[in-house]
Amino acid sequence: MAAGPYNYSYIFKYIIIGDMGVGKSCLLHQFTEKKFMADCPHTIGVEFGTRIIEVAGQKIKLQIWDTAGQERFRAVTRSYYRGAAGALMVYDITRRSTYNHLSSWLTDARNLTNPNTVIFLIGNKCDLDAQRDVTFEEAKQFAEENGLMFLECSAKTGENVEDAFLDTAKKIYQNIQDGSLDLNAAESGVQHKPATPRNPLNTDTPPNKEGCAC
Amino acid sequence: MDVIVEEHVNPDDLKKYEALYRDQERRGPPSDKATFDYAWCLVRSKYLKDMERGTSLLEDLFHNTKDEGAKRDYLYYMAIAYTRTKHYDTALKYTKAIKRIEPNNRQATQLENYIKEKMKKEGLMGMAIVGGAALALGGIVGLGIAALAKK
Repeated sequence: MAAGPYNYSYIFKYIIIGDMGVGKSCLLHQFTEKKFMADCPHTIGVEFGTRIIEVAGQKIKLQIWDTAGQERFRAVTRSYYRGAAGALMVYDITRRSTYNHLSSWLTDARNLTNPNTVIFLIGNKCDLDAQRDVTFEEAKQFAEENGLMFLECSAKTGENVEDAFLDTAKKIYQNIQDGSLDLNAAESGVQHKPATPRNPLNTDTPPNKEGCAC
Repeated sequence: MDVIVEEHVNPDDLKKYEALYRDQERRGPPSDKATFDYAWCLVRSKYLKDMERGTSLLEDLFHNTKDEGAKRDYLYYMAIAYTRTKHYDTALKYTKAIKRIEPNNRQATQLENYIKEKMKKEGLMGMAIVGGAALALGGIVGLGIAALAKK
């Protein structure tokens, strides 16, 4: 690949996981297109989306793999966990079964990603408060016990959707800054792209020496 | 869509699911799950033979299931396989078949658009090559005529 100039400095890989019908694809669509998809068919295998965001003045390209929740695709989707810097784990606040399955999703996420992967718990469909089946407090406690970040969102209204994706990126960026995330590790899920390739940082020989040899 | 169509299987995944499939095969007919996992790896292989083998496994799965949802999934990966092997017309038949089951399937529509774009690009490229050859031939003939005229 040509080392052309990039309009972003980092690439972060995300995955979105969780039971069928919790709204994973709708969250992705809301985040990348700022639109709500009604009547969305179940995802086949995986879908892919990107968006460039800004964290601390740095442009970051998010590459997001949205996985199918169906059991048939479990083997298929597991192969996308590898090298994810962020994992959005989604349940539906109106269906308790999707919340009860979180521990199995979390086990997969922990086993198949690296220890620095930021896992963000999302309780989706918070616009349907009247049909709520899982309380905010309960999920908040689960998140705290397991060291996860947490928000309730609505892919329909867009509430908190930006925050979930952006807060994950901020946390990953913070991990890079404080050195806990090693960019050179094969599966860190982060790629650094020098924004100005014509002025490389690590040139051993400076282009023009001070003073003239002649 | 290009990312989905063009990505390659991780060799470890291919090995793992091939081993599972072969292991079941030794004891009788492999389960749909083992077959699908293996087929899905094969269609994303770099090698044409693997992709063809994957497609044929998916075809068998498709014909042996009554589950409409499963049919849809098999059709999608067959469409991906035919797109990868550049059998665009066949791939389009499969995306149409998905839309008969789910008229608003966005993934099928995206794949369709990708295939049509590919056909347009590769069709035009083919024409450009033929056009270039015609130009070159014209040049040679032209030179010949010029040489004749000089005599």
